Amino acid sequence: MATWGGAGRRLRFFGQFTHYLIGYATWLPPLIWFNTSVAQITFISGPSMYPFLNAEYHESRRQDLCLVYKLYARKDLVRGMLVTFRNPDDPYKITVKRVVGLEGDVVRTRAPYPYEYVQVPEGHVWVEGDGDRSKDSNYYGPISARLITGKITHILSPWKRAGRVKWWEHPERPGVQKARA
Amino acid sequence: MPPFRISAFGQPFRRFASTGAGSVGRQGGASAGGGGGGGREARDTIFLHRPLRLIIFTTKYLAFTHLFLEYGFWPSPASGPSMLPTFEVMGEWVLVSKWHRLGRGVSVGDVVAYNIPINDEVGVKRVIGLPGDYVLVNSPESASDAMIQVPQGHCWVIGDNLPASRDSRLFGPVPLALIRGKIIARAKPNWDFQWVRNPLRSPDQPSDA
Repeated sequence: MATWGGAGRRLRFFGQFTHYLIGYATWLPPLIWFNTSVAQITFISGPSMYPFLNAEYHESRRQDLCLVYKLYARKDLVRGMLVTFRNPDDPYKITVKRVVGLEGDVVRTRAPYPYEYVQVPEGHVWVEGDGDRSKDSNYYGPISARLITGKITHILSPWKRAGRVKWWEHPERPGVQKARA
Repeated sequence: MPPFRISAFGQPFRRFASTGAGSVGRQGGASAGGGGGGGREARDTIFLHRPLRLIIFTTKYLAFTHLFLEYGFWPSPASGPSMLPTFEVMGEWVLVSKWHRLGRGVSVGDVVAYNIPINDEVGVKRVIGLPGDYVLVNSPESASDAMIQVPQGHCWVIGDNLPASRDSRLFGPVPLALIRGKIIARAKPNWDFQWVRNPLRSPDQPSDA
């Protein structure tokens, strides 16, 4: 052991380095699981939920940072909640919109939807963005509730708007005949 | 005097050396050969004496398994008459390749596992239309011969056993985001492993029959 010298020190360093690297890398699966199944923080891009989210869209390029709560994402959906879901037009995009109609509701649609009234089918929801330029259910129709991946529960940045997302304080959208309360 | 002991492989067991008073005695009169033996002894009791380590190890193991099933390969039982004669009614096991989730690399003729849009179940059906394709809305023998163009981001799925299949003819095009994966293999009820292949061939290729 006394004759190892420089080669021994390098081997020891490599061994120790790999040891710690693998030790930290084994934390990746639990972190990835947490990110995809429990909660995640994400930036919101686009003006489709203006001014509720990205209220500074017309003043700066700063995007809101939000907490997406993913546990039981599809349970207890209420009209007015902010949900994240996989875009029906592009499966790799996650979209944030507000739930306006639940299954069975009759919704008075807006442009560019081709029919004036639509009844939301079983297992589907009608989502709309708050802003003017919003590609939502008025564009692609009611979406399957199984596309929903999470609910936006908190805004984390910017500081002056940080806090719980009080989706229930948003005024109700007129033109929705509720199937049940 | 180094603070950690060197094993026969030159790799320090600093982790085990910090377990407390119990290992200090082992650290005392050690040789290179004894280092390996002493480390093995510490490893045997490491989970029993430190429950936190066991919990952390179990969490990592379960998370890794979840990742493998979610993004790698997912073996699962399947049942139902809607895919006869490709799959049996009962006792089938299928292997789902999760690489093909969200519709990646899925082509017409593939059998996919997908989340059914109108309830909480997982269905197994064959893709016969991708975005832009024109498909028949109802069964071929029905009164209506209306066709529909599959919208962007969706696919049209039907079962191989048309009379006993609830598929896109009932609930319309399925968003590609609901596809869990492609079925690449099956184990028939007597555990006879078999690859599931896309039966479509171009005219110049020899057929499977």
